[in-house]
Amino acid sequence: MRALCWVALAVMGAGCAGTALDVPDYTRVPKWSSRALPEARGELRAGPDGKRVAVRYPGWTTRDFDRSATFAYDDARSEPPVQRVTMPAGIVGDPGKGRALFLNRSKGPCVACHLVPGDDVWPAGSAGPDQSTIGDRRLPDQYLYQVVWDARVFFPNTVMPPWGTAGIFSAEEIVHIVAYLQTLKGPVAPEKDRDRNPFTRAKPPGFGDNLDPTNNPAVVLAEDAEALWVARGPSGKACADCHEGGVARAMRGVAPQYPRFVKSYGRVMSLEDYLEVHTPATTGQAMPSESAENLAMTMVVKRASNGLPVSVDVASPDARAALARGKATFYRKVGERNHACADCHTIESAAGKFLGGRVLADVRSGLTRHFPTWRTDRAEVWDMRKRFQWCMTPLGMNMLAADSIEYAELELYLTAFDNGKPLSVPGIRH
Amino acid sequence: MSDIGQVRLRIPSSIKPGDVVQVRSLIIHPMERVERDAQGKIVAKNYNYINKVVVTYLGKTIAVFDTTQSVAENPFFSFTFKATDPGQLKVQFLDTTGGRYEGTADIKFS
Amino acid sequence: MNDGHAIPRREALKALGALGVGAAAGGLAPAMSAHAQAPALGQNESVQDAMKRLFGGKTIKDGSAVIKFDIPLIAENGSVVPVAVNVDSPMTPASYVKHIYVIADKNRIPVVTRVTLSPEAGKASVGANIRLGETGEVRAIVEQSDGTLLQVAREIKVTVGGCGG
Repeated sequence: MRALCWVALAVMGAGCAGTALDVPDYTRVPKWSSRALPEARGELRAGPDGKRVAVRYPGWTTRDFDRSATFAYDDARSEPPVQRVTMPAGIVGDPGKGRALFLNRSKGPCVACHLVPGDDVWPAGSAGPDQSTIGDRRLPDQYLYQVVWDARVFFPNTVMPPWGTAGIFSAEEIVHIVAYLQTLKGPVAPEKDRDRNPFTRAKPPGFGDNLDPTNNPAVVLAEDAEALWVARGPSGKACADCHEGGVARAMRGVAPQYPRFVKSYGRVMSLEDYLEVHTPATTGQAMPSESAENLAMTMVVKRASNGLPVSVDVASPDARAALARGKATFYRKVGERNHACADCHTIESAAGKFLGGRVLADVRSGLTRHFPTWRTDRAEVWDMRKRFQWCMTPLGMNMLAADSIEYAELELYLTAFDNGKPLSVPGIRH
Repeated sequence: MSDIGQVRLRIPSSIKPGDVVQVRSLIIHPMERVERDAQGKIVAKNYNYINKVVVTYLGKTIAVFDTTQSVAENPFFSFTFKATDPGQLKVQFLDTTGGRYEGTADIKFS
Repeated sequence: MNDGHAIPRREALKALGALGVGAAAGGLAPAMSAHAQAPALGQNESVQDAMKRLFGGKTIKDGSAVIKFDIPLIAENGSVVPVAVNVDSPMTPASYVKHIYVIADKNRIPVVTRVTLSPEAGKASVGANIRLGETGEVRAIVEQSDGTLLQVAREIKVTVGGCGG
């Protein structure tokens, strides 16, 4: 009988991860004071007219998305309540206005998820159903109005944002959109260009060999940054003084373990987070999160492990607790758009489909092993945290500090899917 | 931290006499774009961009790229040369501020 | 630099900020001084004006038989679009490709680059990363040593946005 019990316990432990450790527990997460660059701290301050404005990177919106939940562990706000509404009488829907709203990039654009007819429709996405013949379904105006206002009334698990509830589209605008949708009837003209249609469009080929310095400018920057390894900081010491044998030898095998729980700080840290505290404590050199030096040094240390398999700890109690919280973050609905990361980045939802012109990545394929990455459309190196922060702005959510514990544990959750896969830093993406 | 002017060249690891060899090159450079003010008027200033790339082999110019602000930032250029003799391949990048940067490769046969 | 000896930070940062190197060798000097005085190849103009300025009214023939123009039909963003032009040419002093032009019709500065080749290039095979302002035609125009002009053009879609950017 006893032998059976042991076997049963072992099977449970191996097969199912649903034990007490995996229910997110927020009670022992320490407070963290950000040491990131000022524009990377997710700060909000009073603007000249008394309204709050966000302090963010140059060129990023300064809007304060105060009405929507963030990823902060102490932000207890849940999804906005579902709104059941009635289409207003007395507004004549204008299909022309509706079409313009449907394509308007400062609103949805609806076309990012939904294909509609028109040679000027570029790039439409396939994350949502094709609307090209929705008029043929003869759905009541009231039904379409409610779906656009708040689709959760009919589809509780929808990923469609509650446009009316969130105040992104006004009642009148939605009346025009409904009028436009009702004009979309078959037969649909044969497609002249198979790339216009996201269901037949070619997948993007990517940007080639990320490790070729004549292809990826970040490789040049990373090679140049190796000089930082031997540079003396204010304390008179250089990294090389303690980590002997050259950076390639000394740091080989280090990066694949990150993010990891660092006992002395009581939190999960990525390499960027760790450098932020370690470098000033040793060489005296400040290395705030999102600084050029931090990004450069992160690339230098990660490159020393290129080709080695990612191997973050997922088994220790601290790791499992962090993973539980990171996973909860990944599935949490946040922001004006009421989206979770999972809504775009899982196969069950929209991964593999086009959002506008971009193919949505699947979290389980491993999305972290090429970070920091060169962003060609920005001509900048981005680490994972900046990528998290960026995703927040179209979602309509205030970003957190780059070195926040919330982001670190989310990053750990993502990185676990890369375990066993080879590091290849820096990456190159659009 | 400025890496402007950093050049990388790539040539095949094995070259035989008479081969037509492809060279890949990249330079870190802002290739400043034309700015427009709030009214849409072009801001008059001396934009810093590479406007000439000169490729020489054994001291002779074999290719020249005249380039404009429509070339990408941190531009990549590729070209070929006929490897007749061992010697130096040089790629020089000239920008509108008088900046001159270069990368060289010693062509050897193997 | 990676021999483990610490160097002052100042020196390290200078190394990071690499500057121009060396003066031109004698044979190149003509190219250099011409460079200083030449009017800019790139102008803010319409593509029609650019074509007139560069080619006058000269006939430009279809070059699809000899020009291989590699450019993605969908550019993931307009900032970096890789293009390559290969021309089937003997590249002998008697017959070679003298110039290859890349022109982007919808760019504010449509003329992207003009490559000048000599027979010593061995092949007429060049590439560059270009900027595209918006979806539109991109042309590769070849000028042969005998003055013949040939062209191949492609309509390139430029992807915008996606998760806000």
